[in-house]
Amino acid sequence: MEFAEHIKTANVEDVVLRQPLQPPSRGTLCITGHHLLFSDREESDSRQVLLLLRNIDAIEKSVENLTGYSGFFSNASHSERMSGSSGTITMKCKDLRVLQLDIPGMEQCLNIAHSIETLSCLDCVSAMYPFFYRPVDLSLPEQWGLSSPEMHYSQMKELYEKWRLSTVNRDYSVCPSYPPAVIVPKSIDDDTLKKAAKFRQGGRFPVLCYYHKKNGMVIMRSSQPLLGANRKRCKEDELLLQAVIEGSDKGYIIDTRSMQQAQQARMTGGGFESKSFYDRWKRFHRQMERGKALQESLIKLVEACGDESNNMDRWLSKLENSKWLSHVQNALSTAGLLVECVERDGHSVLVHGSEGTDCSLLISTLAQLIMDPCCRTMEGFLGLLEREWIQARHPFQQRCAHSAYSHARLQQESPVFLLLLDCVWQLWRQFPLALGFSEALLLRLATEVYASDYGTFLCNSDQERCALEVKERTHCLFRALLRPTERDYYSNPLYERTELAIWPSVHPQSLQLWKGYFLRWTQQVRHLEEAQEEIRNMVIEWGKLARS
Amino acid sequence: MEFAELIKTPRVDGVVLHRPFMPTVEGTLCLTGHHLILSSRQDNTEELWLLHSNIDSIEKRFVGSLGHITVKCKDLRVIQLEITGMEECLNIASSIEALSTLDLVSLMYPFFYRPMFEVIEDGWNSFLPQNAFKDLESMTDEWRLSEVNKDFSLCPSYPPLVAVPKDFDDETLKKVATFRHGGRFPVLSYYHKKNGMVMMRAGQPLTGTNGRRCKEDEKLINATLRPGKRGYIIDTRAINVAQQAKARGGGFELEANYPQWRRIHKAIERYNVLQESLIKLVEACNDQSHSMDRWLSKLEASNWQTNVKEILTTACLAAQCIDREGASVLVHGTEGTDSTLQVTSLAQIILDPGCRTVKGFQSLVEREWLQAGHPFQQRCAQSAFSNSKPRHEAPVFLLFLDCVWQILRQFPCSFEFNESFLVLLFEHAYASQFGTFLGNSAAERARLCLPEKTVSLWSWVNRPQELERLTNPLYEPNSLVIWPSVAPQSLLLWEGVFLRWNRSSKCLDEAYEEMVHIIEYNKELQTKVNSLRRQLAQLETEDPLLHTP
Repeated sequence: MEFAEHIKTANVEDVVLRQPLQPPSRGTLCITGHHLLFSDREESDSRQVLLLLRNIDAIEKSVENLTGYSGFFSNASHSERMSGSSGTITMKCKDLRVLQLDIPGMEQCLNIAHSIETLSCLDCVSAMYPFFYRPVDLSLPEQWGLSSPEMHYSQMKELYEKWRLSTVNRDYSVCPSYPPAVIVPKSIDDDTLKKAAKFRQGGRFPVLCYYHKKNGMVIMRSSQPLLGANRKRCKEDELLLQAVIEGSDKGYIIDTRSMQQAQQARMTGGGFESKSFYDRWKRFHRQMERGKALQESLIKLVEACGDESNNMDRWLSKLENSKWLSHVQNALSTAGLLVECVERDGHSVLVHGSEGTDCSLLISTLAQLIMDPCCRTMEGFLGLLEREWIQARHPFQQRCAHSAYSHARLQQESPVFLLLLDCVWQLWRQFPLALGFSEALLLRLATEVYASDYGTFLCNSDQERCALEVKERTHCLFRALLRPTERDYYSNPLYERTELAIWPSVHPQSLQLWKGYFLRWTQQVRHLEEAQEEIRNMVIEWGKLARS
Repeated sequence: MEFAELIKTPRVDGVVLHRPFMPTVEGTLCLTGHHLILSSRQDNTEELWLLHSNIDSIEKRFVGSLGHITVKCKDLRVIQLEITGMEECLNIASSIEALSTLDLVSLMYPFFYRPMFEVIEDGWNSFLPQNAFKDLESMTDEWRLSEVNKDFSLCPSYPPLVAVPKDFDDETLKKVATFRHGGRFPVLSYYHKKNGMVMMRAGQPLTGTNGRRCKEDEKLINATLRPGKRGYIIDTRAINVAQQAKARGGGFELEANYPQWRRIHKAIERYNVLQESLIKLVEACNDQSHSMDRWLSKLEASNWQTNVKEILTTACLAAQCIDREGASVLVHGTEGTDSTLQVTSLAQIILDPGCRTVKGFQSLVEREWLQAGHPFQQRCAQSAFSNSKPRHEAPVFLLFLDCVWQILRQFPCSFEFNESFLVLLFEHAYASQFGTFLGNSAAERARLCLPEKTVSLWSWVNRPQELERLTNPLYEPNSLVIWPSVAPQSLLLWEGVFLRWNRSSKCLDEAYEEMVHIIEYNKELQTKVNSLRRQLAQLETEDPLLHTP
């Protein structure tokens, strides 16, 4: 497919760009296959704005014929009438920025709008920008990503005794959404795994995701068991879970659905582990919002943040109505429950909801951040994201196809990853010294997950990534973020490692709206950023001084 | 009266104390005339010294013979005492109740407190009106300092010295005073150096139902206008409230009589409404149910944030009139001692970088609140936990501090002081060992001989060791006008006051310390670099060989 087909007008002069926090500027607009490029006409300090078309969530156009109907009766030629008209395109981005272009000439405006509309939501993954992004100072990596399940296993010596690395899924045949290698109890052979996989939705049989060094307890995750209405059971699945709590009196299962939802799931072939077959497992149900409800919550929140009625009551009720903060609270307290089971109560836990690709990942990630100091450094955090979200497969492409502004009908969009970042931000706010990275990293990730130069968040699973050769043909965001210059920028100058678990307060009074993200494009957040920038600069300067 | 009469049991042993974020302490409870003291007599545990005047309300209940007393403080802290023995417990409770509600000012602790520190600069003399006027004189000669109120007879709530237009003699001022509520004739509050515009404040004009007018009043405020320029009158009441005031002899400036002035009405809440808002907010903050929806609805229902927003908006409007429109402004509500002062003082923080320093802010509080006659004693008699019927209580000053905190949060580098300073002022306005916030006006303070008999809060604050704790490490003088955002989305709940005792600030404090440490270390390195550079330069000039490699 050629991008050129979609670009009828590639260049327009004399366009006015309005963006938040900056005065409007006049200049030239270019549309390319992946970008919208605006360059200022001022020669003194020419500014350029380069926007990934992928970042555009929705556009609105209004065309105005300035000469109006008076021109109809005059004998002005067609072209003159057209040149007197102009149009405005409002672009609402996935990073919540809203930009406006005033374009002279109705036809040009319509052409530009059409190109943006088409190019911003191309479905073909291999035509996306990460496959074309070739910065001069960076060659394609030999190793894509920070680690692999194999490397992770080999570094965890304490696992060797009771756990093994299984390659039963090497060709993705047992579970299309798992990576080729997973960690399972040593006593369970691959045949048992294959059978257990048939009993779990999407083949996601229970695998190890976290080993708590302090007491040897683990967090496992999976998808729901396929009990169905007639309460099927699977000996191999029971055996697998039994092996997990070998030598301990019991384990806990945290189901991220309410009891009622889990009951209903049986009608569609799903279900939950019944007490009679898994008698040493105690089950908790914690209802977490997912899918469409979460997306709608985001839409409402962003709408509330953009509300300009200047009315305090209205703002607070809209904020409440969006329920976003309730979701944050819910996620953090469920993660807290998980940590309590592992750290305080000293038992292993299995986490799942239905598919095991959204809420399960959310709370297992948060629990690891709360418990494990290694996950709180910048490498540790990115490594954690890679394991839990990239390798364990969160369907990024489906979930992040659109953000809060899109008019398109909701399909599989859901801001689960954004909710994770918000929860991490709450942790960072409550424990400003404990995390090795700063808010800036969370903001960067929140932007990149929706539109990126890098291939990290492309596709829905490892299998898809291999099929499209993502690992060979794109750059990896996580590796880029760890390059020295970037690392300086994103690290937390106040970081001091603590070995303790960081228990967040989940009182509603303790949780705040993540202004840095949701109100990022309003004036006042700017000043806070400047203050943080100041501290960061100081620390960088120190580093230089210390070295010289 | 002797305090001893009120103290039925001065000492009880074996009392257990629970307070937020501190380990439980068992020790001896002592009641003195002004303090509740609990000490375990061990070196490693902190003693509790609580001023009776800080106690807002107490509750007692019994489980068997074990009495529980819950003490709720005006600084919003809640502590629990467990006392064995019903009689002891009842005695203690009734003593606390009696001692914490003493009305007689001259029995208050500041009259008994002797400083344990060396006073470097006596705070009572730090901010005299004649000194402030010297600064004004250096900028303009259009104003004079009038002594017309030197015996407080003309306006009991004004200080002895006020700044008025130069051409107005005291006789005219006397006539104007009869036309303004409480005798509060228009006086200068702020002079904007950049364009010579001024902000004045006053009480409402006493027009009454038949539209009385006062030529002198009109002349006085017109004298502050430049030829051909219009001014703005900001009335802090909604138009219907101002209309209703006419029935009680008050009113507002009619266009016909003040053709050069444009009147703007802004609805700022006052009195009971504010007190109730505070009570609801504090109740919401202490809500223990874990529901996010409930918290947000309660926060909304308290209306506190709305009040913050309205006050800030009005202050921005006043500042805008002066700085952007180049017009002079007169601010008043009814009495001119509450919402008026919120607006005039916040506008100065927005406009004048001088008010954003530690000293400048103290001077502002002194000028626009203490000397301008905000009735601190009445307004701060009770706080959010009180069970008694509110009389004149209203958290007007606390709202002002909240607004300053909002601006400080939005401009973290533009203030020389930090949040702790604002919290300190809140605490001392409600209960203090210092005399600064005693009394309701300059006249009362003079009558009580406060400067002679009590210590000023500023004497204590303006010492290096205290200042260090209260200064903002990020401060960089900013000579610009700072325009805060007043969008509801931009305003936050002031956690440092309202959630201070509900959630531990340990981690945040550590982070703050760390930041201070980084900044200090940075300064140190900077000086080191500079001295090394100097040495290098010197070596280069001394030793020409260095230039040849």
